[in-house]
Amino acid sequence: MISIDFFNTYLLSIVVFSLVLNFALSLYGLFYRPHYIKKIIALTILSDTANTFAIYIGYRRWVSEGNTNPRPPVIPTTEITPSILSEFVARSVDPLPQALVLTAVVIGLAVTIFLVFLGYQLFVHYKTLDMRKIKRLKG
Amino acid sequence: MRRLVKTLVLVSIILGFSFILTVASEYFIPGESVRPLAVFYLSTTFNPWLPYLTVYSPEAVTAIVWDYRGLDTLFETAVFYLALIAGIALARGISLKADPGNEGGLSVIVKTVTRITGPMIVAVGASIGLHGHLTPGGGFQGGATIAVIPLIIIITFSVFFVIGKGVTKDKMLVLRSFGLVGIGLTALAALIIGLAVGKTAYVFQNMAKPTSEVSLPAYFNESLVSGTLWFFNLFEMIAVAAGFTIAFLLLTYPENKEGENA
Repeated sequence: MISIDFFNTYLLSIVVFSLVLNFALSLYGLFYRPHYIKKIIALTILSDTANTFAIYIGYRRWVSEGNTNPRPPVIPTTEITPSILSEFVARSVDPLPQALVLTAVVIGLAVTIFLVFLGYQLFVHYKTLDMRKIKRLKG
Repeated sequence: MRRLVKTLVLVSIILGFSFILTVASEYFIPGESVRPLAVFYLSTTFNPWLPYLTVYSPEAVTAIVWDYRGLDTLFETAVFYLALIAGIALARGISLKADPGNEGGLSVIVKTVTRITGPMIVAVGASIGLHGHLTPGGGFQGGATIAVIPLIIIITFSVFFVIGKGVTKDKMLVLRSFGLVGIGLTALAALIIGLAVGKTAYVFQNMAKPTSEVSLPAYFNESLVSGTLWFFNLFEMIAVAAGFTIAFLLLTYPENKEGENA
């Protein structure tokens, strides 16, 4: 029963399930941690987990033909021949999720900067970053 | 001890559920082949035998980011721009007090090491950014690497040292605007060339297309620049480095003490 294939599947399942659990933990932090900074930290963990999911979707499995690993979507030479190109297409992972994740990372960083400045103003105005106290304040 | 028990419980939950998932199905496992769209991207990103489809960039991710889906990235840059503008607007109460004048900062060892490694980090960041069309990396990654330098100098010296060297918020805003204008002009470059020579051309065009002969040079002085990709990476690097420097400067201004006017 314990074959290489089973072991591969098990390792990839561990990756997926860790991501799901990470997702749940970050949602817990986002909803139930009262402190503003901890909410921001949970939000960044949430977005990083989602990005890792997206990259995982673009991953390709061990190519059984020739028993070779997948490789990054970068051609290692600028003097290209048809054989290099066909080997690249046969082995490389999907570049599209990586490009989308790059976009998402930039936007996530920009939003984090905005939230940090918002937190600064919250502290200046209310002298606290505890969301339970801020929620009770009127005006 | 309790922390160890919690960690053990988490790890065993992950391992156990993964085992159940493995035995139950293979739903989560990526296949041996990629999607047809990915095959298209991979086979045309650097393919001199298909001159109307290729980008002449060995790095497929940069080719997608700035050519195949270039408009997407332009709007992403707009989001970055607007979020930073919003951040600066929220930081309107933050102002710089007078320089206390004392020699602040960390010890002389740390300062010397920072002086040595600073130019190296800039070189690495520029290399990441300007080789974005050849190796993993690109304008954003290079810019983020370069933006580490002002942060390190603020920590080891002081924010007054950085501002005394001329790296002020207003100058960084100008530099960032220069980068963004460069991105906009690069996006319109093929269109401007097409208008100048009286041929059909499109916004965000890079290489020649079947309906348009206008093409930006793939090779410059026999080294690969992939048309617009190199310029996009350069200007994005400038804009991102300057943008992050603004945020770091504003966040490290010394705070007013209790009782002082904000």
